[in-house]
Amino acid sequence: MLKLEQVSKTYGNKSEKAVDNISFQVYPGEIFGFVGPNGAGKTTTIKMIVSLLAPNSGKIIINGIDNQENILEAKKQFSYVPDNPELFEKIKGIEYLKFMADVYEVPVAARQQLIEKYLDVFEIKEVVNDPIGSYSHGMKQKLALVGALIHDPQLFVLDEPMVGLDPKASFELKKIMREHCDRGRSVFFSTHVLDVAEKICDRIAIIKKGKIIEVGTMAEIREKAGSQESLENIFLELTE
Amino acid sequence: MKEIMGLTKLFINESWGFSKFLYNRTNNKKAFYKQLVPMIIVPIALIPAFFMYVSFNIALYAGLRMINQTSVFLSVGYILTIALIIIFGIMYILSEFYFSKNIEELIPLPILPRNIIIAKFLSILVFEYAFTALIFVPSLIIYGVGEGMGFVYACLSLLMFLTVPVLPLALLTVLIMLIMQSASIKGRQDMLRIIFAFLGIALIMSVQVWFGNQMGNANNVDFQNLMNNLLKNNESLLNTIGYFVPTSLLLAWTLNKITFMSLVWAASSVAINIIAFALMVLVGKRFYIKSIVRGKIIKKGKRLSQIETQKALGKKSHGVMAIFFMDLRLLLRTPIYFFNNVSVFIIAPACLLISLSFIKLTPEDFNSIRNFYTEMPILVNFMLIAFFIFLGATSAATATTFSREGKASWLTRMIPVSSKDQIIGRTGVAVIIESLGIIFTLVGVYFYIPLTLLSLVLTVVLGIFGSLPILLFGLFMDMNRPLLDWDNPQKAVKNNMNVVITLFVGIAYIGLLLAVSGLLGYFINPWLGYGLFSVISGIMTLTFYKIIDRRLAVKLLNFE
Repeated sequence: MLKLEQVSKTYGNKSEKAVDNISFQVYPGEIFGFVGPNGAGKTTTIKMIVSLLAPNSGKIIINGIDNQENILEAKKQFSYVPDNPELFEKIKGIEYLKFMADVYEVPVAARQQLIEKYLDVFEIKEVVNDPIGSYSHGMKQKLALVGALIHDPQLFVLDEPMVGLDPKASFELKKIMREHCDRGRSVFFSTHVLDVAEKICDRIAIIKKGKIIEVGTMAEIREKAGSQESLENIFLELTE
Repeated sequence: MKEIMGLTKLFINESWGFSKFLYNRTNNKKAFYKQLVPMIIVPIALIPAFFMYVSFNIALYAGLRMINQTSVFLSVGYILTIALIIIFGIMYILSEFYFSKNIEELIPLPILPRNIIIAKFLSILVFEYAFTALIFVPSLIIYGVGEGMGFVYACLSLLMFLTVPVLPLALLTVLIMLIMQSASIKGRQDMLRIIFAFLGIALIMSVQVWFGNQMGNANNVDFQNLMNNLLKNNESLLNTIGYFVPTSLLLAWTLNKITFMSLVWAASSVAINIIAFALMVLVGKRFYIKSIVRGKIIKKGKRLSQIETQKALGKKSHGVMAIFFMDLRLLLRTPIYFFNNVSVFIIAPACLLISLSFIKLTPEDFNSIRNFYTEMPILVNFMLIAFFIFLGATSAATATTFSREGKASWLTRMIPVSSKDQIIGRTGVAVIIESLGIIFTLVGVYFYIPLTLLSLVLTVVLGIFGSLPILLFGLFMDMNRPLLDWDNPQKAVKNNMNVVITLFVGIAYIGLLLAVSGLLGYFINPWLGYGLFSVISGIMTLTFYKIIDRRLAVKLLNFE
């Protein structure tokens, strides 16, 4: 579903690589967790996947489509919710959702059904006619999640999705992520909450200073680390 | 005092982005040069305009000297400066006190609210001093040199220069704070900001109306008597102006003739400014902080039923329409964008018509205008086309289209919308608001010249068609140099060099094109003129469209 091949990215200072020659794959039906310390390159990697940044080298293939060569088609394959979703403050929630449904060409019946469903799940039905500027951080995140789920994407990309969500919304999101993968689609998300990653991810990649230092299932990571400890302990050992 | 200075430096740094500029110098050379080049080019580009302004001032002084009225010279410069301070001050004050998010970070800190208010005021004052230096200092120098003034005049000039922006800015801040905290405007703050901006313009137009009336009345009095009066009493004009702006008298009494009383008047002027400043601090402490901690009040929509939700989600729209409506909504609902990008289409035709309304036309004059149009329709048509294109160039709707989205631009960059749809949707918004200006203008022009249907069609079609290359050039500029990192929307437009570049390039291009097409149409054949205009506009539109279409998708990847 998602394949990164030797992807690198530098910002202004060319000698420092934010992402350094990373490669990994996310398979269909898989929840893939992406963990690492602050500044390790998680958000940069995610932004390259969702076409918000161009890599300096390497390839990113989404559902068989190169996101550098066929940008528009690649964009149709995924949806993305950033860690701090800045949305248009002067727009009403419902207008935002219509906009998302239009640009992803969601048929009328499907958009009405899915939006109704997710507005209920995330409990923002009552505020959907208010300007986004009046929303709290969590409400904005919920609206961004509904907007991202409208077109039932092949790949669902989330940057720190649990930050700002209340416990119920967090629980519902984990359920949606699992159901999404059960239908053969994939979820790729970054998190600092290692307990969550350990519980819901099929596979995990650990990134440190722009390099992938470990990829695999929890069992594989434990085996390589020679330890039966929690992901948190292994993470601390690996990233020290 | 140390805290106030620290906060002032912080606010100025935040407004100008000095820290980021210095950071980029060592870490991101490309971004550094992007910031540096306009900082050098824009002042150089403005030198001719400044030179013209100074020349105008010298001519004004010479003219006033001939009619023995030099005493009014400084007052004229003072009033002009104050009027401009008020117009620009409205947006600066709203921006610093109400749009900026730093206040929410500062309130929880152990800082005296008074110090925050003073520092915010001082940070605006610094900009206004730079502005006053350009507008008012030439008047002070010209008068001083012309009247052979000495050292005391120079010292008092400096003192008066320091006081000029304080009083209008302090009173304006007080007024804005009082209105913004009013309970009756809960949830209507956006609308209020637009009203404020229009009030500024209304003020200027009122001044124009007043001068127009005075000029009109002047026709009815004996001109010889008026001149005699002016020549006998060298303060008659000053007294008239002083009646409307009393503080201009204080300035004139301080600087026109240097006597002991000049010191007294200067001290009075300083005292008035101190009182205004204290009043601003007092009102700020009483109302400003309170209005912030009361929380942001946004008017909420009504709860939607299932049927209403489904209706609101509506039928499926094309990507072009999705982009078009999103851009249009942002433009109309964000006060600063509305004022900068849309209101020009209401204000410019209104100014033009008000100016025309002061020209007293007799039925013979009307006939002459109509005859001129009948004999040379091509000139009138091209003048209208030029005005319509000018409206398009000044709106900057496309030159700030990506910048206006700011940090939320991730959304429009991530969605699967083709470059073609992005270009058409965003340019469509600019065309729609330009059409608004065209309609207003045509309605006004109709009172003077009953345009034929052919003229109407030609001017509207070619006006819009001719502005497309400039609109697309604006889009091209914003695609290449979007200004996304801002904390208040004012910066997306006011700090955006794309606006200035598009305006200058657009006007130069269209001036050249209209001159060539107009001359060809006038001397050889009108249809040849219109034809050449259409062909060149078509080629330029297509060229820019192709360039943007090819580059946009890649550019969207490199906005950060």
